[in-house]
Amino acid sequence: MCEELATFIADVDDEKTLFGVKEALESGVAPLMVVESLRRGMATVGVRFESKEYFLPDLILSADIFNQAIVLIEPLLKAEKTQSRGSIVIGSVQGDIHDIGKNIVATMLRCAGFEVDDLGVDVAPEIFVARAKEIGAGMVAMSGLLTSAFDAMKATVEAFANAGMRDSVKMVIGGGPVNKTVLEYCGADACGKDPTEAIRMAEDFFAGDLPKS
Amino acid sequence: MKITKKLHEKDKMTSEERFQAVINLQVPDRVPSCPFIYFFAAKYVGITAHELWSEPAKYRAAIDRCFEELGPWDIYYPVNTRFPEVYSFVMPMKSLWPGKDLPSDNIMQLLEEEVMKPADYALVIDLARKWPRWAQFAFFMQLISRIWDTVDEGWRGYAFLLPRMMIHSLEWQLEFASQKKRGATILHAYLQEAPFDCFSLARGLIPFIKDCKGRPDEVRAAAEALTDGYSFITQLFTRTGGVPRATIALHRTSNDFISPKMFDELAFPSLRRLVDKIVAAGISPILHCDGNWDLNLERLRDLPAGRCLVQFDGPTDIFKAKEVLGDRMCIMGDVPADMLVLGSESEVDEYCHRLIEEVGKGGGFVMGAGCEIPPNARPENVKTMLDSVVKYGYYV
Repeated sequence: MCEELATFIADVDDEKTLFGVKEALESGVAPLMVVESLRRGMATVGVRFESKEYFLPDLILSADIFNQAIVLIEPLLKAEKTQSRGSIVIGSVQGDIHDIGKNIVATMLRCAGFEVDDLGVDVAPEIFVARAKEIGAGMVAMSGLLTSAFDAMKATVEAFANAGMRDSVKMVIGGGPVNKTVLEYCGADACGKDPTEAIRMAEDFFAGDLPKS
Repeated sequence: MKITKKLHEKDKMTSEERFQAVINLQVPDRVPSCPFIYFFAAKYVGITAHELWSEPAKYRAAIDRCFEELGPWDIYYPVNTRFPEVYSFVMPMKSLWPGKDLPSDNIMQLLEEEVMKPADYALVIDLARKWPRWAQFAFFMQLISRIWDTVDEGWRGYAFLLPRMMIHSLEWQLEFASQKKRGATILHAYLQEAPFDCFSLARGLIPFIKDCKGRPDEVRAAAEALTDGYSFITQLFTRTGGVPRATIALHRTSNDFISPKMFDELAFPSLRRLVDKIVAAGISPILHCDGNWDLNLERLRDLPAGRCLVQFDGPTDIFKAKEVLGDRMCIMGDVPADMLVLGSESEVDEYCHRLIEEVGKGGGFVMGAGCEIPPNARPENVKTMLDSVVKYGYYV
């Protein structure tokens, strides 16, 4: 049943996935197992995206199905402790209010099992630092569509260094004009151009020991 | 005003003759250049972005100074508008403007909010059935009244916007005259997002993707229904502007946003219909293709040969685009934004040389930045890009 669920969501089939989730829960499958099956399906979506079989709409629609499924599962999950794969702070950097890409990356990271604290847009370096410190984030993800974001990303990396936190968090950047040249300029640890790269970076940074079904 | 001035001693053509030649896929005397200079001009001359858009005399002075000190360029890329409400005709989205909603030195930014409702697809189809020529205008008037508190619905909205559109047109005429006097020609007299892309911007990306899955026939039909009105308005503005070219912006149809299948089935039918209509009216369409178009290139071959120009902004493999489209349409681009900001002059020079040698081979190429020149681009890099067409770009 769990294998089928993974296949349904990997095929971006909303009706079969949601019906399958209800059926699994009613037949007594552990809610956590259901979540992990959905995550495996989402991982397949990522693989298909990278091989250009799938495109952004498939990511958006599968994440939407995942979120609808979580609404069904969540009341039953309260009693169980969900295991986060790591804590991430994300935001569009100071001076940049674009958020489509950042929102999609945040959603996909959540679907992949990470705890994501989205600070929104136009986020000042000190806000990134304060929030990462407060929740003990292991990774900070900065997004920007404008070329002026390069300086804001650099300032954010410097703010973490000034706070003595640079070695305790991994800092990644993403967004339209971001590439390795920009990465070198701003001094972050890695850059990515799409949500699947963001997930891979997060997986590289955190130990991904999730329960197997 | 006819352009008579030659820009460089070795030139054998005027800028307009050169531009016409590359669009028609003939070999010109040299590669022309067309920088999309806007907010960069403000930073370069030391005025705020707010002054740039709100004070036309300062805007013209900034552009002229860029032309004199960093140029010349062959083709002027008009984009300025004094009225944010009028800009919503280009991209129907909520927007934040420097000096109004943002610090004076910031650049204008767009907000991803839902200003179009699902029921609007049916409204568009109905408007187009009743008033094919005015459907697009009428629909946009409705959207703009939702975007701006300053614009009412109905005749009050028209009374607010029409005079501003006329002032905007007059200011463009002054810009055109100033550029032509210097020997540069004009890229376009009209600029607007393609119908399918308009829906994506106005609905918001995620609701729109759900529409494409849930009501694809309605999305496609509404986009096609807008093309008559779009073509009519395009003809109106290109005639009054005296420039037989119009830009169709395609911000949301790249492979970054939709699949090639969705492009073929939902976006391309209305784009082809629109291009065919305006080409039949003697207007050259300029397709402003943001994002990665690698997997859509073959489909663009279906558009009329020797009539269109396609502008790429960096993510598309422009060298592959030359191979696929070089015998069908002129290509413009694509010095990447990050190279203009962080690169060295020698890097820019080397890249421009390659563009000219490979994409400019046999004509059909316009040197330009990938989309807009970033405000924080290094002026030396902008100058290197513009100089490259003289250094490497002569065909004879």
